[in-house]
This record gives sequence, C-alpha cells and structure tokens, in this order.
Amino acid sequence: MDRAAFDRCLQPLLGPAFGYALRLCGDRDEAMDLVQEASVNAFRAARTFQPGTNFRAWYFRILTNVFYRSRRKPSNTVSLDDEQNAYLLRRALEAGGGWDGADRIAEAVMDGIDAEAIQDAIRALPDEYRSVAMLYFLETMKYEEIADALGLPLGTVRSRLHRGRKALQRALWDVARSRGIEVDLV
Amino acid sequence: MSRRCLSCREAFERLDDFVDRELATGERVLVQEHLEVCAECARAFRFEEGVLRSLRAKIGRIDVPPELAARVREALDRASD
Repeated sequence: MDRAAFDRCLQPLLGPAFGYALRLCGDRDEAMDLVQEASVNAFRAARTFQPGTNFRAWYFRILTNVFYRSRRKPSNTVSLDDEQNAYLLRRALEAGGGWDGADRIAEAVMDGIDAEAIQDAIRALPDEYRSVAMLYFLETMKYEEIADALGLPLGTVRSRLHRGRKALQRALWDVARSRGIEVDLV
Repeated sequence: MSRRCLSCREAFERLDDFVDRELATGERVLVQEHLEVCAECARAFRFEEGVLRSLRAKIGRIDVPPELAARVREALDRASD
C-alpha cells in the first residue's frame, strides 16, 4: 500500500480514532499523541495489511495496542464481578414501585447525568472493558468487528461488553443518587 | 412437533444480545415471538433499548482538534523519509 492509498484509508478514521483514544485515556493531548503514534505504526506496518480486509478494525487494533503499551500499571478500576443483568432496570423498578415509576426514574437519571459524569463512569471501567465498550458505543461496531479490532475471541467481546455495560449502568445510578437526582418515589 | 416458545427467563437471558442486534435469526425470532405475547418482557426490552439510546446520545461526538490531521500528516512525512 503506497502513501497516497494509506492516507485515503486513514483520513476518515482520524476523528473517530481521536474520540476513541480520548475515551480510553481521558486526556486530549494524550489522545492526539496516541493517534499520531498509531498512525505512524500503521504506516510502517502497512505491508502486513491485507487489501480487501477491514482497514478500520486493523487500525483500531494498532491504536488499542498503543494505548495498552502506554499504561505503566493496571488501571485502578471497579470490580466487574457479580454485575446483574439490566442493573438500571432492576433498581428503577425497585425504587419506582412498578413500571410507570421506573420509567420516570430512568428519565430522571438519564436527563440528570451529563457527558462528564458518563466519561468518569467510563474511565472507571478496566481498560479491556472500556475499549470494547467504546468501540461499541462510539463506533457502533458489531461484535465481530470489535473482535477483529482487538484481536479477541467473539465470546470474550460479548461478555466484556455486557459486563462493562452493566457496570456503566451501576455507576450512573450511583452518580444519580449522589447528585440527589430523584430516584426514590416510594 | 410443537414450536418452541421461550420462557421469560430464557428471553431475559437473551436481552443484551437482542438489544445489540447480535442474535442469530432463529433466536431473534423466538425472542420477538415471546415479546409479542408477554407485556412485562416487552416493556423490559423497551426500557433497555431506551437506556442504550440515551447512553449513545450522551456519549455522542467529540470535538476533534483541528490540528490533528496536520500533526499526523507531518509524522507520516517524517516516517516516509
């Protein structure tokens, strides 16, 4: 792949790559550094890219690896054991005393949570869960593409996404309560 | 042979994959058929889809630094030398 062809493939991905890197590391300057380094690494490895395969997944794998290598130690994050299925639904039903109450509570929680609170909740996820969640939420990748991008088995992607999403719901619920958002109707 | 019908528990186990549009066709049809006859599960599935939509909308798009493309281009130029 020559430079011109590489640039044509890369240019549309720079914005999404920055968004993904920012959600992983939480810092705009660092995110730019990660994207720059990943782009250079990808260019140098361009001969390993197989034409006709998924360039986006290939590039995001390189970017994710650049991020992981930049980490000196495992991130200090929440445990993802014992996360219930549909966490927000269960809490909302308990607090709301039924469906009407649950819907009102869910609306209050989601309306009361700003992007910064969500970013904080995302940052609290373990790195390997955060990367899966961000490719899913930001890039709307399917499981198979995420597996390709991260070099993971499909089943691992699925379980990390499900558990990460539940942890995110739990974190948002806790933030809502700590901010005094009305979540107790009964 | 009677057609298989999911229980509420079986449908709920497939909630995440259904919301993610990742169920195989046969499984998806079974879940949809259950949701057509079970108002409680249908409401639970709508709730989860609503939370997912809200999260996606909130996470949303990020302002990309205007200098990013130039920085990457210059780094690639150096790597090409």
